[in-house]
Amino acid sequence: MPEVPIVMPQLGESIAEAIIVSFLVKPGDFVTADQPIIEVETNKATMQVTAPCSGKIVEFKAKENESYPVGAILGTILVSEEEATKLGLTTKHPQPIGTAGKPGAIPHKSIEEKPRVQPTVTGLPVPANLAGASYMSPRMKARLNELGLRAADLAGIQGTGAGGRVTIQDLERFLAQIEKHKTTPASPLRIAVADAMRRSWTRPIAMVAMPVQLDKMLEHRKNFPEKPGPALYVVRALALALAEDSTPAGRLIGNKIVHPQSIDIAVAVEVSDGVMVPVIRNADKKPLRDLIGPYRELVSLARGKKLPPEMTGGSIATVTNYGVFGLTFGTPIPLPEQTLVLGLGAAQKVPHWDESLGQFIPITQAYLTLSFDHRVLDGGGAGRLLGRVAYLLNHPELL
Amino acid sequence: MSITYLEAIREALARALAEDPRVFIYGQDVGRFGGAFKATKNLIEQFPGRVIDAPISEDAIIGLAVGAAIEGLRPVIEIQFADFSLLGLNQIVNQAATLFWRTGTPCPITIRLPSGGTIGSGPFHSQCLEAIYAHFPGLIVMTPATVEDAYTMLLDAIKIDDPVIFIEHKLLYYHLKADHIHDEGLPVGKARIAREGRDLTIVTYSAMVHESIAAAEELASEGYEIEIVDLRTVKPIDTDTVIASVARTGRLLCVSEAWPWGGVGAEVIARVVSEGFGLLDAPPLRLNAKDTPIPFHPNLWSMHRPTARTIADAARKVLRF
Amino acid sequence: MVLGRVLDEKLASLYRAGKIYGGCYLGRGQEALSVAIGLNLKKGDVFAPLIRDTAGRLAFGEPIHDAVRTYLGSVLGPMRGRDGNVHRGRIHEGIIPMISHLGAMIAVVNGILFARKLKGITGTVGVASIGDGGTSTGAFHEALNQASVEKLPLVVVVANNQYAYSTPNSRQFACRSLADRAIGYGISGYEINGTDLESCLDVLKQTIEEARSTSTPKLVVANLLRLCGHGEHDDASYIDPKIKDSPIGRDCIRIAEERLLQRGWASQQEITMIWEEAKVTVDRVVAEVQSEPAPDPYAEDWCALKTKHLADIYCIPEVPDRPEGVLDLP
Repeated sequence: MPEVPIVMPQLGESIAEAIIVSFLVKPGDFVTADQPIIEVETNKATMQVTAPCSGKIVEFKAKENESYPVGAILGTILVSEEEATKLGLTTKHPQPIGTAGKPGAIPHKSIEEKPRVQPTVTGLPVPANLAGASYMSPRMKARLNELGLRAADLAGIQGTGAGGRVTIQDLERFLAQIEKHKTTPASPLRIAVADAMRRSWTRPIAMVAMPVQLDKMLEHRKNFPEKPGPALYVVRALALALAEDSTPAGRLIGNKIVHPQSIDIAVAVEVSDGVMVPVIRNADKKPLRDLIGPYRELVSLARGKKLPPEMTGGSIATVTNYGVFGLTFGTPIPLPEQTLVLGLGAAQKVPHWDESLGQFIPITQAYLTLSFDHRVLDGGGAGRLLGRVAYLLNHPELL
Repeated sequence: MSITYLEAIREALARALAEDPRVFIYGQDVGRFGGAFKATKNLIEQFPGRVIDAPISEDAIIGLAVGAAIEGLRPVIEIQFADFSLLGLNQIVNQAATLFWRTGTPCPITIRLPSGGTIGSGPFHSQCLEAIYAHFPGLIVMTPATVEDAYTMLLDAIKIDDPVIFIEHKLLYYHLKADHIHDEGLPVGKARIAREGRDLTIVTYSAMVHESIAAAEELASEGYEIEIVDLRTVKPIDTDTVIASVARTGRLLCVSEAWPWGGVGAEVIARVVSEGFGLLDAPPLRLNAKDTPIPFHPNLWSMHRPTARTIADAARKVLRF
Repeated sequence: MVLGRVLDEKLASLYRAGKIYGGCYLGRGQEALSVAIGLNLKKGDVFAPLIRDTAGRLAFGEPIHDAVRTYLGSVLGPMRGRDGNVHRGRIHEGIIPMISHLGAMIAVVNGILFARKLKGITGTVGVASIGDGGTSTGAFHEALNQASVEKLPLVVVVANNQYAYSTPNSRQFACRSLADRAIGYGISGYEINGTDLESCLDVLKQTIEEARSTSTPKLVVANLLRLCGHGEHDDASYIDPKIKDSPIGRDCIRIAEERLLQRGWASQQEITMIWEEAKVTVDRVVAEVQSEPAPDPYAEDWCALKTKHLADIYCIPEVPDRPEGVLDLP
């Protein structure tokens, strides 16, 4: 009776070998097709090799704790004649033309067929260096181009192709499904923000937070009839802190930290469909009272989406007052060209232990959050910067 | 009623001789003997004086054909085996193929080449030379795969005012049968979808169409639907049909019995990659005979050329990419 | 002959002045033989000249403009710039343009004669010129054999000018005389003195008429010496001076002039006038042709087939737009 080899299958993209962990059956056992018979470990996971067909285990050639490459013969299974026929081990080669038996018919019959073994994990081998799941064929790229989509848009699609990649059919199915949903157009601003955030996110972003007492700042505000926004205080504090040491706002380009040339701080302003970031140039050089007017004007221009180009861009850090939305805490993402975004949360009246009075007293407190590119700045540096900003906010006369 | 590929060729020759007094047949053993493969059997009786035996002089045979064409006749030349046409290569590519372009006088000759391997035919009775002839400007190269095409395309070839290399596959001569032939077929220059599919396009011609169909049937049981494009002519190539097919399937395999270097498959792939790059889901592949002279022993011969089995294997590579 | 010689000389001087593209091949020394062919053929006959048949072509009726136009690259020439120098012809007037491969044209002439036979046309003859070197080719052998088997009215005229490029007869063939090859084909062979115009005229007349009436091939071999290089680029320094000094080394035109004078058939004055007229004619034609346009690549359809719709569309290059300004090709 014919014997069928048990072959180490392709267990995943770029897997070249696996170690035998244990044999789940022993020689002499009868197994059914697809029954797990050997447990193996790859550098990614423990997996099971299944029987290629039903039959009796003749022997295992492999040993436990040894590594075998994909395609290695691990053992053999004895199959019955009918199973062998089912597997096509004794089928004659199909006649391509004419009628068999005619004199001069092509004698493929006379060539011995080697038994064909089906891999028990099908649908792969994808060349490892093409990284299976994320491979995009020219056809896929052309279609995405046509549709104005990018690879990131495929992230939500379940792929059925080799290595789990998204095929054209998967994409078209997905798009057909999307058609059934209500859709609203995304404005150019929305798309611009989406693109900026996607690009920013390619860096490792971390965040630290520190509570800051706002009472002194709120008191200081009353000095001005126009009541400067809390964000402006934060801008000034950050500007002064960075003027003292601009390293936290530096950018890592290759193996250099590129320092900012001037302390230009942007402020996030919410508009109808996104965020605009007008810039206060040289925010370290002008005292707070001189910035009140320009700040107001910038914000109003931004809200009206009338910001001229020279008033955006080129900033080295951004301040965002998400507290106005009632948010006490947030993890904003810095702009792709910046290392820092400093956030101010909503102010809350909280009890604070006053050691000198020996009791809890009410204070107004908000969280300052610093999201940063962790390649440039670590927790310590971030903490020190926040500490300085908090100090300056508690001494508003310095701003 | 059933008609073989060879009988269809004979019918076409008879019809051409009957309908156009300018047609005559010239070649070795074509007269009373009826040709080495009996393609011209009995034609000399039906058309005395117009089916003429030539000496073994392929150069002079083709040269004579060119002269006769200049004089207004329409010679149909039978070269006994395609392999021997190389002895007349100069007259084909430098005389016949350049005559019209150089002089303005057309050269309406048809050169029939029994081509392709059969068991035991060996290195010099098996060659497939379509790529060589297609390379030279001024020739039309036809490679019919079916009985119907063998009939209509030969009639077309004789009517065309340019030199036509008509490549007949010897394996198909007696083995390929059809129930009828038809008066008209697809126009010359158009490829035929021999099998509709969805997952992969096989572009092929001549006997390999049938091997590809067998491969497609094997793959159908695995859930793959293979589309097969029968080129019918390799010069000109119906590139539009090929590209439209690849647009549907995203994958391409070119199969040919000829050798790989600079073959028809290479030409098709070059065109698809340049004109249809954005259609491809996988790199295109070609499958050809091995790059050695054609072996004599059937064991060696059957591995030398593509078979349904190797076509299916190659297809799987492309399908699984 | 004179016209042929004068034309050839003019072409040579144009070649040396750099006005000719490609090679320049003259028939200096072969005029007697060549002209004998042209004069004995009739309208309706077919002539496949080779590279040294200027005189024969003129005698057969090729307009002098054809040679000048083809050499000078005028688009009005018979080949329209697609082929050049000696590869020219007028198929419908019976002059078959050669291809470079020696021996190949003979089978084509066979084909024309064969077709006429099938059509029931009799009484025409085909002549193919070839040199001693060309007789070594397989194509020569196949075609002569074929003409003989098919009984065609073919006359092959071999100008044995002693050298094929630089290769002397001793390295070209080993039989006693090229005319002996006729035996192998079952046809008659004739050997003549190629410098003697009278012999050439007589034998060509005889063989052409015999071929015409008996429809059997003839092989005529004429011995002469090539009085120029293989082409004008070649100085022929390899030619054996002994042959130059022998009788076949003499200029056939000089010999003919001597005879004319000897027999009183022409005066020196008349002979001189023939040369002058020839020079005037040639100069006039050259002047005319030099102002004719060259082929325009932008006007070409770049299609080698007559059946345009079967041209392989991806092989046809897009004809670029003509650039602004005067077309100035090197």
